[in-house]
Amino acid sequence: MKGKQLLQIALGIVTSVGGFLEIGSITTAAQAGAAFGYQLTWSVIIGTLCIAFLIEMSGRFAACSKHTIPDAMRERFGANAFSIPLIVMLSVSLLVMAAEMGGFAAALELATSVKFPFWAVPAAFVSWFVLWRASFGMIENGVCLLGLVTVVFAVAAVKAGPDYGALARGALPTLPHTSPAHYWFVAVSVLGASVSPYLYYFYSSGAIEEHWDKSYLGVNRWVAGIGMGFGGFLSLAILVLAAVLFHPNGQDVGSYRDLPELVTPILGRPGFWLFVASLAIACFGATLEIALSLAYLVAQGFGWQWGEDLPPRADARFALMYTLLIAAAALFVLFGADPLKLTQISMALTSASLPLGVLPFLVLMNDRRYLGEHVNGHIGNAIVLSISVMAMVLAVVSIPLELIGGGG
Amino acid sequence: MIHLIAEVLDKQIVDKRSRQAGRADGIVIELREGQPPLVVAVEVSPITLLARFNRRLASWYARWDARLGHGRGTPFRIPWRALDRTGLDLRVDFDAEDTPINAFEKWLRQRIVERIPGS
Repeated sequence: MKGKQLLQIALGIVTSVGGFLEIGSITTAAQAGAAFGYQLTWSVIIGTLCIAFLIEMSGRFAACSKHTIPDAMRERFGANAFSIPLIVMLSVSLLVMAAEMGGFAAALELATSVKFPFWAVPAAFVSWFVLWRASFGMIENGVCLLGLVTVVFAVAAVKAGPDYGALARGALPTLPHTSPAHYWFVAVSVLGASVSPYLYYFYSSGAIEEHWDKSYLGVNRWVAGIGMGFGGFLSLAILVLAAVLFHPNGQDVGSYRDLPELVTPILGRPGFWLFVASLAIACFGATLEIALSLAYLVAQGFGWQWGEDLPPRADARFALMYTLLIAAAALFVLFGADPLKLTQISMALTSASLPLGVLPFLVLMNDRRYLGEHVNGHIGNAIVLSISVMAMVLAVVSIPLELIGGGG
Repeated sequence: MIHLIAEVLDKQIVDKRSRQAGRADGIVIELREGQPPLVVAVEVSPITLLARFNRRLASWYARWDARLGHGRGTPFRIPWRALDRTGLDLRVDFDAEDTPINAFEKWLRQRIVERIPGS
């Protein structure tokens, strides 16, 4: 392997780790640890496994076929069939984006004590401004490098002295001892937070923006496997912190204001500021990624000119698309939609709608006209298919039960 | 031998400056008596695209589009012979900027985007 490729692998892994955590993975892992100790460890592991496979596939798809996923979906399945994942992804991911922007605003509230809705307009403006001015590389490398501050969770988790035996036992799925409806609902939210469709859609467009070809297949495999693996490790660190600090006292994660307590008992006041920085950067990065991902989805679906490296005047419809999406997400924050509730709802809906995006993608991944000899193997197909269908079934069953149970 | 649905419909169109110029939203076929049908053109237009979902929606959009000037209100057609089908995308030998394909893009650029600093 050449030096340049090694550098790309290193950078790719670092940005994947820095970009992995966002409001969804932080809060759902914290809720899982607080309510069920180490018992839901398995949900973080299979969620991470599924997204690692999906990311590898979307990079391989772009490198081999020179198509992004939405581009090939419209071409292969036609406009009518494509409209279903388009509408579902737009609506569900818009909610996720509102939750991320809410998380960014909540971090600013924690830092300043100024209530989060007041931060809606500044947060939206900064997100829009970065997309308007910055290139793709600046966003991916800059924001995700800053995101490395989230490694603080791993440091705190090790210092917290977890019960490694219980953690290992949690890696195997078990039936809940108490409140089964809530157990499955939290498991579904964790899965939805890990396997967000915007992530692999974003990755395939990124591979095209960076002109990947088949020589990147090795880089792609390493970045997907190690990058997502370390990212999932950070989610697990949050679950561990909640299991050590919240679970024994029966403390719940009822508000985003409870979240800094994941690290402050261990790292003190510096821990508080590291947490605030982690939340702000992780949520800001995710807001940018989702806005871009959805603008890519629409522009590619309709065949418009697109590219984050082009000035907005060269792709006016694409630029207008992310501008409108950011404005729409900001409205949720402005009107005071609670970031934590929005996260829970949007993560569960992500799980419920997972197969709608994943199934057509798997059909593409097995189509030799796009991938030639690089089509999926049986293992990749089986893992992604079974996890996403399981997530949907669990979501469809547990969401109504959670609602009847009063969200407890 | 060409499979129109699989190999033409919904494919990306790229213009002579290598810019994305919409997708093949529809295919125009001429039925001739006593002779095989003839593929005449490809349509690139929201009118054609909408008609695949709902005809009423398409005609409503077409009426609104017709107000925007001469040559509007009907789908833009690319003659079959003008399409280069050899590559990954369908290539055409004209600039999409000079056609209704980019009318909305152009309007948006001139009226809104270019007035915002940093565009």
